[in-house]
Amino acid sequence: MKPFDIVIVGGGGAGLYAAMEAMKTNPGLNIAVLSKIYPNRSHTSAAQGGANAALANKAKDDTVEMHIFDTIKGSDYLADQDAVEVLCSEAPKIIRELENMGTPWSRLEDNTIAQRPFGGAGRPRCCYCADKTGHTILQTLYEQCLRKGVFFFNEYFALDLCVDGSRSRGLIAMNIKTGRIEAFPAKTVIFATGGYAKMYWNRSSNAAGNTGDGQAIAYRAGISLKDMEFVQFHPTGLRKSGLLVTEGARGEGGYLVNALGERFMSRYAPEKMELGPRDLVSRSLETEILEGRGFDSPAGKYLHLDLRHLGPELIKSRLPQIREMCMYFEGVDPIDEPIPVRPTAHYSMGGIDTDNFGRTGMEGVYAAGECGCVSVHGANRLGGNSLLDILVFGRIAGRAAAEEAGKFNPSPISETEVTAKELELRSFMQPSGHYERYGSLREDLGHTLGMNVGIYREATKIRQGIEEIATLKERFSHVRVFDSGDVYNTNLLQVLELRNMLDLAETVAAGALVREESRGSHTRTDFPTRDDINWHRHTTYTLEGTGPRLGFKPVVMGRYELQERTY
Amino acid sequence: MSDSTIQHNEDSRDVTFRVHRFNPQVDSKPYFDDYTIRLEKGITVLRALNYIKEHVDASLTFRAFCQAGICGSCAMRVNNMSKLACTTQVWDELDKCREPGIIKVEPLRNLPLIKDLVVEMDPLVEKMKGYSNWVDSKMPEENWGRKEFPVSEAEFLKYDKATDCILCASCVSECTILRANKQYVSPAVLLKSYRMNVDSRDSMHEQRLAGLVKDHGVWDCTHCYRCQESCVKHIPIMDAIHGIREEAIAERGVKDTSGARHAEAFMEDIGKKGKLVEATLPIRTNGVVWTMKNLLPMAFKMVLKRRTPPPPPLVKSTKDIEKFRAEFREMSGHVAKDHAKKSGE
Repeated sequence: MKPFDIVIVGGGGAGLYAAMEAMKTNPGLNIAVLSKIYPNRSHTSAAQGGANAALANKAKDDTVEMHIFDTIKGSDYLADQDAVEVLCSEAPKIIRELENMGTPWSRLEDNTIAQRPFGGAGRPRCCYCADKTGHTILQTLYEQCLRKGVFFFNEYFALDLCVDGSRSRGLIAMNIKTGRIEAFPAKTVIFATGGYAKMYWNRSSNAAGNTGDGQAIAYRAGISLKDMEFVQFHPTGLRKSGLLVTEGARGEGGYLVNALGERFMSRYAPEKMELGPRDLVSRSLETEILEGRGFDSPAGKYLHLDLRHLGPELIKSRLPQIREMCMYFEGVDPIDEPIPVRPTAHYSMGGIDTDNFGRTGMEGVYAAGECGCVSVHGANRLGGNSLLDILVFGRIAGRAAAEEAGKFNPSPISETEVTAKELELRSFMQPSGHYERYGSLREDLGHTLGMNVGIYREATKIRQGIEEIATLKERFSHVRVFDSGDVYNTNLLQVLELRNMLDLAETVAAGALVREESRGSHTRTDFPTRDDINWHRHTTYTLEGTGPRLGFKPVVMGRYELQERTY
Repeated sequence: MSDSTIQHNEDSRDVTFRVHRFNPQVDSKPYFDDYTIRLEKGITVLRALNYIKEHVDASLTFRAFCQAGICGSCAMRVNNMSKLACTTQVWDELDKCREPGIIKVEPLRNLPLIKDLVVEMDPLVEKMKGYSNWVDSKMPEENWGRKEFPVSEAEFLKYDKATDCILCASCVSECTILRANKQYVSPAVLLKSYRMNVDSRDSMHEQRLAGLVKDHGVWDCTHCYRCQESCVKHIPIMDAIHGIREEAIAERGVKDTSGARHAEAFMEDIGKKGKLVEATLPIRTNGVVWTMKNLLPMAFKMVLKRRTPPPPPLVKSTKDIEKFRAEFREMSGHVAKDHAKKSGE
């Protein structure tokens, strides 16, 4: 079988942009996109709020420079400043590019792309399409990929990389519809599989499939991960389901209110109030709840996000999806009642360690989007920068891979390697005396992470979390797949996803324990301040034996000196 | 304990899910399995299915991803209507059961079955490709990223609702034309086509329209409105279908396709006679030769079975009919003017 020039794993915004750009760079290339779901189902579609770009359509004095500063400050100075410069200076171009190819952006009165204020940003620079921005971007990219004839392998689950010394030869994947294990020999591989925040399971806003598959595959193949301890909690998840109420709701003027009727953000961010950065707002909600100023309910403690003063017109036109979600999942119409909310695990700042071109520690392997860690978000991502990240770095990785693909001819993937994978998967279906159900393991993992490695962290708790994860891994070795069929075996699939989450959970907890400071989303109650002398650096994780070996990497600085971060 | 907790407990009950099962490796034909579980009020159908999969039967197979009503993965038929399992409350469905307490769960229709509740989505993707469901930008690709197209809020509003479509295929599943003809374009693809055709940035309206008026295209729809009824995003899909038809007539003329001639014949009958002259409708739509060849044998059979409609009685013009005709002429005039304005833009 002739190797592919590029195999892209993941069909969300980053993967699709990479595919398009690679085809544009060299139309003669043989490119495949593998996705475990139909690409138009990807989690990019859930991004409601928008994408930041200093177009200066709304605030005429906005500049790329201000966007850079806001992002670095927002990251609590852990972002690499050269990478942030790439992100922000490419932003206006890529938003216009999307516009030119048909993305239905909302518009301002002068017929330019509409922008709105977003948390942690000095100017209203978040470009949006109502509250369905990610959905419309994803649709546009998918449509354009169909137009260009990108070759999709839909419903294929990537299993593992095939490695030749320091270089990848491609990967092995399962065709979900047939159960067949297939080899994908490839000159280059781009991982764009999204984040890993679903490991918090019921305490996560993520889709069921955001299980960090790309990161786990890379990690198992010896590729380093970076900054895994940084998991962003979104302040406003719905009380019952953890599903998200976009920051746009606060951008439009929504209030956060406690049980005493106070707009409590005045205590924590007197200037920005509800539009403080996410880590700060999440901590504020958590503190209000811990100090007893939350509302009580059988589904847990919560606070109010009040939109009533915005009026029915604005809610219906600018936040229609949010209104619908509140009604479906909470039985609350935000026009008449405040929305019950609490923080929910939402975004993974960490990921596969890459340089500014998406290159990882292994030759021929790239990563982009939430799956990678460049790092542009550092210890805390700003709202509106994640869509931007997947677009900008998806495109860059696509171009870089296209340029590299011609330079290498990998040795083929042997039948033996494929058969070995088949046997490994079959072993999950062999009956053994004592067995475990994946469902309860998954819930336990989410619970232990939420309790011990959540918003507020502390050494003894994290240690307990690490122990519990080890116990869960032991229990996982007894997990049994009861569906022994080949066709569309979601039982097997979910077990494999759980394995990926367990591998990555270890790195999250290990990083949380070692980083003895509080920075961005990582808050240690036993080390409550930022420690720039010892901890102004990235953490890295490489698999050694059965667990992660930790390493460190300096932060790339630029023109912005370290400052205290206040809002 | 608080009142809400007590309320909570009273609001739980046993619910039976009668679920469509089929494993192509084992089963020669589909069958139903009943799962009875105790549920609390406020739970969605998807959560119930997840519970069954995790605790009762791990082999039960369905798609689900975002669980928040935006990805479209979990579309299935619940109590004989296609919808998203993740946004459907079990308690709401209990009111719609044909057999009390039994919620029927089936896969989408009109798409090939893979297993249990999972159907093949590729045919829909192929149709999207076939009808160019993308913006073919007026701007050459090498110029992308330099400047925005100016787009007015009014134009944005033309395609705003249509871009809500998440391709869940509920409309595809409920479409009555697709039941009879799998080659039919599909409501979702018509909606997407419309969305592209009203976008001023697109350069291939004409070409897309030419495809849409061919066989299995926009004229095959019989206005049953099932697509619109089932749309999980409440998109007025029929407006899109009518929009394409109006555009087709305005831009391509009525002689162009049988569908357009059919619509014109309707208009003429209603305008002149106030009633439909069904007997001559096929002739005016498809011509004498086609009618003789294709419909005459059926017409004979209908006569034998006394199923032919009687000739329409002459309608004596009354004041009200005159008034109606005047209004009709005025309306047609408006539509024509709108089109002239649209194509002039």
